[in-house]
Amino acid sequence: MLRMEIALILILVFVAYVYFSAGRKYTPLHRTFSILLVALIIHLVFDAATVYTVNHLDTVPRLLNDILHRIFIGSMSLIVYLFYHYMAILVDEGTGKFRWLNLAAKIYLVVAAVATVVLPIHYAVTPQGNYSDGIHAEVCYVSTAFYLLLCAWMLLVNWKEIEQKKKFAIGVALLIMIFVSLLQAFHPTWLISGMGMTLMTLAFYLTLENPDILRAELTEQKMSMLYLKSQVNPHFLYNTLDAIRIQAQLNGDRKVADLLMRLVDFFRLSVKVDRQMVELDDELELLEAYMELMCYRYPKLECEYEIDPDLGGVKVPNFILQPIVENSLLHGLKNKGYQGKVRIVAQKLPENEKRMEIQVMDTGSGFAEGKKEKIDRMLLQYDRQAPKLEGNSIGILNVQKRIKYLCGQDCGLWYTENTDGGVTAHMRLPITWEVRE
Amino acid sequence: MKKLKVLLVDDEIMIREGFKKLFDWEAHDCEVVGEAADGMEALAQIDTLNPDIVIMDINIPIMSGLKVIQLSRIKHPQIAYVIVSGYDDFSYCQQALRLQITDYILKPVNYEEFGTCIDNLKISLFEQRTAEEPVEQEERVITGITRYMQKHLSEDISLSVLAEEFHMNPQYISQLFKNEIGVGFLAYLTNIRMEKAKKLLLATSLSVAEIAEQSGYGDYRVFTKAFKKAEGSTPSQYRRDFLEDAKAGE
Repeated sequence: MLRMEIALILILVFVAYVYFSAGRKYTPLHRTFSILLVALIIHLVFDAATVYTVNHLDTVPRLLNDILHRIFIGSMSLIVYLFYHYMAILVDEGTGKFRWLNLAAKIYLVVAAVATVVLPIHYAVTPQGNYSDGIHAEVCYVSTAFYLLLCAWMLLVNWKEIEQKKKFAIGVALLIMIFVSLLQAFHPTWLISGMGMTLMTLAFYLTLENPDILRAELTEQKMSMLYLKSQVNPHFLYNTLDAIRIQAQLNGDRKVADLLMRLVDFFRLSVKVDRQMVELDDELELLEAYMELMCYRYPKLECEYEIDPDLGGVKVPNFILQPIVENSLLHGLKNKGYQGKVRIVAQKLPENEKRMEIQVMDTGSGFAEGKKEKIDRMLLQYDRQAPKLEGNSIGILNVQKRIKYLCGQDCGLWYTENTDGGVTAHMRLPITWEVRE
Repeated sequence: MKKLKVLLVDDEIMIREGFKKLFDWEAHDCEVVGEAADGMEALAQIDTLNPDIVIMDINIPIMSGLKVIQLSRIKHPQIAYVIVSGYDDFSYCQQALRLQITDYILKPVNYEEFGTCIDNLKISLFEQRTAEEPVEQEERVITGITRYMQKHLSEDISLSVLAEEFHMNPQYISQLFKNEIGVGFLAYLTNIRMEKAKKLLLATSLSVAEIAEQSGYGDYRVFTKAFKKAEGSTPSQYRRDFLEDAKAGE
């Protein structure tokens, strides 16, 4: 059995190495997983140690044996709790509601910790090998049963709302763990609890935590943008538009010349898709070009900017402002005959100096009945939506995805309704001047 | 000052027409003396017209604009070139720097902003002339003033400060700049501040705030704005583009 523990430790150390060297962003989900990895490796070390000491009761001092067992059993409860916590975060991402089970899980963890420290230990000696039994050993069985039941309950209750991929990962991990725990319960001398937990961790790693998965989706998005870019040779477009602009100015038509200049600006800025992150000023320049053209077409449109000058050089994901404003125009102000105002505000957040908020407010027709709930759900469950290239929500969904992947989980896009009509788009973004590629 | 002779090189007639008619050459003491639509024609025109300034498109038939500059440099080292290109690409810019082009602008050309470019050219032509002048016993007044400005760049410089330093009337000094260099005092001051800032950005690792101060801008936000207006990019972007490009070129 000792050999199996060593093999498991080696496998996990390798996984941990790959996982930590990937240099990913630390969302609560990934943080829980990394704690889980470390705790599990430590647990396995103690597991291996007790496998040896419990079979050499006569040579190893009783006190040392007890301490090792207490840590071993205690860390097992902690790990099963971490499994529960990890699954809870996974499920929360899809549903976003508070769970009373979380409180129960935490309270039980404290009870288990106390029990591990104070309860007496008894060792069973059998010809097949020794193991600890009695009330102290029961603690870990009860913990495992308790948390696995919680997980199963959570999975069943939220069955419809959880994404297929996550459901599969959680289901497989739970089945493995239940199966191995039952085996261990009926054959106490097998000492295979470590194997169950390692397999469960590996199931999560392979399905959800694999660093390549997220990267693949971003690459795909970039590719589709490059594809769109390749449709028209941009130099042909600029040069032709520029020639027409000069002709207009030579003919004395200053207005047409200026509009063409803005159109050239807009195209020039919007085909720069090879950079993931650009300065806020670049985004604003693109937006100004777009809004000037729209305001020319619809003279009753107005646009107002209120930008904190300190934020001009901050790096933001490319092409996030214009789609949001376009959305405001097409779904809000269009219904009012393009009469109204769009106001763009960028400001620091007083409560967090590393975050800023960009708001796009419009005085349009607001959300239709039930539309807000639909948008809210779509933006919350952004990673469940298949990347599609049509439909009128693709723009804002795309913005949400890029903010989430490039800036982290605590950033993102959401909508609120204004008291005096119209809607406001909020974008929470990090204040960074450097680009992490 | 005599009028500067300008040669326009672009394969698109509309671009040449635009430059000829939409920019106020007269107000900038310049005169368009010729046009060329390809590399060969450009070389021939440079030889016959001997212009002071050549406005040059890169992507032209027969011979690229950069090649034309390389070849004509040997015979006419005093000509100043302005590269006008639709290629939003820094690698051209770098090659252009190696050829000592005096300026580089991108299409579409904004004719109002093109005036700044011509001012910058005049300043570098002036500096070239001053460098070639034999060292005389008695220095010309304008040379003394510009030398003083270079030396005290990080301080507050104004016409009245100069007037006090050189015991002259501020209006007289202002007129001196117009006559000797062909640009206003402020245009000259902004130019040398920007040149200093660019040099510091590329050659040192000083922070943007420190560079702003050394180039004579007390408030670094004012500096960033002025820089963006002159160069089309923020100081940090300017530095990063250059470093990135240097890395890519290795």
